[in-house]
Amino acid sequence: MNEWEPKIIAFLCNWCSYSAADLAGVSRLAYPSNIRVIRIPCTGLMSPKFILNAFRHGADGVWVSG
Amino acid sequence: MLKYTSKIRETARRLLTEHRVDAVIGFRKGTVPMICQPVLITTPQEVDTLYWDSFCGVNLANYLPKRQGPIAIVAKGCDARNIVVHMSENQIKRDQLFIIGIPCKAMGDRRKITRALNGQEVLEVTEDADTIVAKGEGFEMPFNKADVLQDNCAICIHRNPVIYDKLIGEPVPEQDGIDRYADVQKLEAMGADERWNYFQDLVAPCIRCYACRDVCPLCYCPTCFVDESRPQWLGKSIDPTDTMTFHLLRAFHCAGRCTDCGACEQACPMGIRVRRFTRKLEKDVLELYAYEAGMTMEARPPLDVYRPDDSGDFI
Amino acid sequence: MSEVQEVSGEAGNFEVTVLQSPRYIDTDLCIACGTCTEKCPKRVIDSFNAGLSRRKAAYLAYPQAVPQKYVIDSKNCIYFKKKGRCMACKKFCPADAVNLDEEAKVRKMRVGAMVLATGFAPYDPLSRDTFSYGRHPNVVTSLEFERILSSSGPYQGHMVRASDQKEPKRIAWLQCVGSRDSHHGANPYCSTVCCTYAIKQALIAKEHSTESLDATIFYIDIRTQGKDFEKYYMRARDEEGIRFVKSKIDRVLPVDDTGKLMIRYVDAAGKRIEEEFDMVILSVGLSVRKDTVSLAEKLGIELDQYSFSATSSFAPVETSRPGIYACGAFQGPKDIPYSVMQASAAACAAGTRLVEARGTLVREKPRVSERVIAGEPPRVGVFVCNCGVNIGGIVRVPEVVAYAKTLPCVTYVEENLFTCSQDTQDKMKEVIKEHGLNRIVVAACSPRTHETLFQETLTQAGLNKYLFEMANIRNQCSWVHSNDPDRATEKAKDLVRMAVAKSVRLDPLEEVKLNVIQAGIVIGGGLAGMTVALGLADQGFPVHLVEKEKALAGHGQKLLKTWKGEDVGAFVAEVVQRVEEHPLISVHLQSTVVEAEGFVGNFRSTIRTGDVTEVVEHGTAIIATGAHELKPSDYHFGRHPNIFVSLDLDRTIVTEPERFKDIKTAVFIQCVGSREPQRRYCSKVCCTHSIQSALRLKELNPEMEIYILFRDIRTYGQREDIYREARARGVAFIRYSLDEKPKVDISDNKLRVTVKDQMIQVPIRIDAEIVTLASAIVPPADNKLLSKLYKLAMNEEGYFQEAHAKLRPVDFAVDGVFMAGLAHGPKPVEESIAQAQAAAARAVCLLAARTIYTSAEVAYTNAAYCSGCGVCVEICPFGAASADAETGKAQINPAQCKGCGLCVASCRSGALNLNGFDQDQTFAMIDEALAS
Repeated sequence: MNEWEPKIIAFLCNWCSYSAADLAGVSRLAYPSNIRVIRIPCTGLMSPKFILNAFRHGADGVWVSG
Repeated sequence: MLKYTSKIRETARRLLTEHRVDAVIGFRKGTVPMICQPVLITTPQEVDTLYWDSFCGVNLANYLPKRQGPIAIVAKGCDARNIVVHMSENQIKRDQLFIIGIPCKAMGDRRKITRALNGQEVLEVTEDADTIVAKGEGFEMPFNKADVLQDNCAICIHRNPVIYDKLIGEPVPEQDGIDRYADVQKLEAMGADERWNYFQDLVAPCIRCYACRDVCPLCYCPTCFVDESRPQWLGKSIDPTDTMTFHLLRAFHCAGRCTDCGACEQACPMGIRVRRFTRKLEKDVLELYAYEAGMTMEARPPLDVYRPDDSGDFI
Repeated sequence: MSEVQEVSGEAGNFEVTVLQSPRYIDTDLCIACGTCTEKCPKRVIDSFNAGLSRRKAAYLAYPQAVPQKYVIDSKNCIYFKKKGRCMACKKFCPADAVNLDEEAKVRKMRVGAMVLATGFAPYDPLSRDTFSYGRHPNVVTSLEFERILSSSGPYQGHMVRASDQKEPKRIAWLQCVGSRDSHHGANPYCSTVCCTYAIKQALIAKEHSTESLDATIFYIDIRTQGKDFEKYYMRARDEEGIRFVKSKIDRVLPVDDTGKLMIRYVDAAGKRIEEEFDMVILSVGLSVRKDTVSLAEKLGIELDQYSFSATSSFAPVETSRPGIYACGAFQGPKDIPYSVMQASAAACAAGTRLVEARGTLVREKPRVSERVIAGEPPRVGVFVCNCGVNIGGIVRVPEVVAYAKTLPCVTYVEENLFTCSQDTQDKMKEVIKEHGLNRIVVAACSPRTHETLFQETLTQAGLNKYLFEMANIRNQCSWVHSNDPDRATEKAKDLVRMAVAKSVRLDPLEEVKLNVIQAGIVIGGGLAGMTVALGLADQGFPVHLVEKEKALAGHGQKLLKTWKGEDVGAFVAEVVQRVEEHPLISVHLQSTVVEAEGFVGNFRSTIRTGDVTEVVEHGTAIIATGAHELKPSDYHFGRHPNIFVSLDLDRTIVTEPERFKDIKTAVFIQCVGSREPQRRYCSKVCCTHSIQSALRLKELNPEMEIYILFRDIRTYGQREDIYREARARGVAFIRYSLDEKPKVDISDNKLRVTVKDQMIQVPIRIDAEIVTLASAIVPPADNKLLSKLYKLAMNEEGYFQEAHAKLRPVDFAVDGVFMAGLAHGPKPVEESIAQAQAAAARAVCLLAARTIYTSAEVAYTNAAYCSGCGVCVEICPFGAASADAETGKAQINPAQCKGCGLCVASCRSGALNLNGFDQDQTFAMIDEALAS
């Protein structure tokens, strides 16, 4: 596993996508571990500043879902 | 142009003499040619400092936010649109304002003239309807005005003010058949890497002086995000990432509000084409929401409102 | 897992005996880890997935089940079949939650009222040979297809057909399977919901298909009469390319062994056509469950001829036995919004009956005083959970614990087998006190399921509950990275570091207590408004009822009878009298609300009556401004005395019945102004109304020839009965199309109607003596003003917009304001009354609480940064943001804020923040996420 893997920051809505990520666990689905989830109360809160900040600190991808 | 100057003075004198306004915001002749300076006068005695020529590119709406009391302002097409933006953003009230509307004949770009003269110092300019003549030691060079316009003026389709109390001349014909977004289309045609490199190169000379922000009428926050420390949105040094972050966020803050007055580009000491950032957003807002900033008080800016049929293709 | 065995007593004092079947898993101990399911060797057909997949005998009913606790299916479990064998679940359960000796419990409870909400059974098409259902795997019912489309369904949301697991390219939906069908074994009534759900399925199927899907819906009438459903239909047909075929299905037959199915049908013009499809979906209807029928017998309540609960249109949720109420599909086939309305209506009816008992069983929770942490440096306590082996089996928890100890501000770290267990909670309380911890991080499962539990512990330890953060190292780490313990461990450390970084920036938050003004205002004095007013007043709350006309009753007084034949006028008169005599209702006639301010629980409205204004204070407001009949601008309306709109015809039949005795020919034109480009909605009541009027004319003169010119007949639910009756009595129904609308000509004062019959494609001329226009229902123009006053959303047609189309059909997005009746959209009397009762129930919930706590996770302003641009004021969907009158700076009312953060994201100046999700906290998390 020396291949390059992107670092992904995910901003997930508490009510839908974050629950879905929980459900993926309940269902024992497997996915790569290179994702870090930040729970937000609603994608309404999602500011471009967060995205730019993630990139600024070295994220390779930002995923917003809600 | 001299006609505009005398009309502006005449109106300003009347307003100040009759105490209808506390002050008049306009231009005076600059200390060097091709840069007129904004000026705020408060007495009839100062009226003769007011001036107008083809180098009044600064957007005077920038001096309005949070002013108290009645005030008059000289406004080109773009200034007037920014005044509308200010009113919809509660920065100034309509009934405070006396707007001296200028049917704008487009502004000249001093850099284009200087470049054409290979850096020879211009000491004086004169102009008539179509020609600008630059004079210096040992030379006198006429320019076809259309060749030395500010880029934004060349593609402007809103030269007459959308709002005014007195229009100081006959409305000028608006340009039609202009390809307004040829520059943006070029950017859109680029691949992601190419575009990224393009923008990196574009801002490489930036010294983070924030002149583009300071001349922009849209930037009136008490504390700009670049100066905040909790959280600190970006670092203070000229780190390329921080610089890019600044330009991207500045552009985002202008989305749906920018009138493409070109003040930012004129102000940049490094000659960076900062409009490249705002133009794409301007085009998107027009295409997605059929909205141009500052045209009317009736419609709220599209990014302030939600409609179920808003474009959602990006999701 | 419980059922009613016996009921004795009477309204206000029932004794109900309930049998609770054993679950064999203790819900207090079960941690929902799923080990029992994993270890259970017994596979069983999964009824939740419509039999399309298998589950284990130890299982979770479905992924979103509440409570999220497992069950053992004793009918299939090996232990119960071969006594004493297996017990794998018990052996492996890490929480010792399995109890195979559990026995059924009988519980007796004393209640004052009962509500029956037993739902429906989908129609089983096995009894029909026509469709090849049960004989071919690619013929499925709509509910089976619903599971196929679901991501938690048998194919994980990949749309494939059962025969070869391949994606179908052509799918047909067959409507009215088992509905509108008088044959033995089928249901004569319309199931109401199938047209819309078939359209929904077709649209979703198109989204799920990888190549373009050819979706066809075979129908008799498209019945999208619900609010906004017509637009949905138009979008499906005109924009998404779903094909709608008016037809009669002859047969569905398999095509050799291709997996395909051939549908033989007769189209609208009577032509016989055969077409092949890859999959056929049967849009099955709604029937009453068999066990509901036996329950009804036990309770002694009357059922109608189709076994639905027999109710009056005027009391749509009352069964024949006092104190027992019915709602949802047991009362008749209905969609989700109307089911939810009825549910609240039943709560209102039951609440009214129980008003004396309200609050008598409430117990107050003791409050622990909160420690002030101001000035203290952060002292973070981290609790890392093994969750049995669920986390610890993958993530190396001791390593995470050791790592947590190295993080800044962390003063205490502990490893737990189960952090959520009671003994750990007790210990946590002690540790918090002993070590003076002022921030707590739990690294365990999901905050979605466990945050409140841990917050409660903080509260009991005297710590503000918002000084808490979770790191989700189970659901979003160990469970999904079980194949890579190294990386799972690294990720768990990152998640803990992120949570700690956020926690040190947390502040204590406060939920502000507000008093609720014990009164309501109801705007609109029609049937809906009056019903709301009575709903509130009968439960003891004073009401201001504001009506702009001279008298109460609204349009209710113009209606003659409901479709069931009940006298509307008499009922309305009775309601008016009750309202006028009610000591708690102040009626304001010829009055309007001209100003309003405030928020949930605390409104002030100015009522103007003539030149007089009165300011009233109220905790809630209900909008019931109704709607009215459109005066048509076409079909020569107003130019001939015998061209009526529906309500005029009703009135004339009553006042001048003799005028109709000798009429030979009458024509009704449907959809006048409805379902047209300028008014893209169905007015819902007109088909039923015209058929009622036609039947009334037939009573006056059985020889009268009556033609109803229609586009789709929408006699949904049991109304289908009167459509059938009208056809039996000789009323002729002629289908016309929107492109070729009927024409009405007047010559020599005589009326002639020309219409092109869509079946025979020939123009038909009818010399009519009377023409009745079933004209649209339109909302009042002054709704706009109310919308401004109370900041209420409206849809594009000018009806008020509910907070959620399905789940909150009487609430506005703005708290404390509700809607009822035609202000929300066209609907018949019984639905208006149910919605009005629902609105009353929702309002009473608020009033009866007496106090409300604002949410703590709300936005707040830092005035020094605010530029007063007003974007937040514009963008807030809940009216919570406003500009300070003096400074122009933004301010957020915590009682109205829902914590969505839109204002925060929209603020260029960074003046807004959201409590609990401050931008510096989010920034810290981003930084830490990327720090390793």
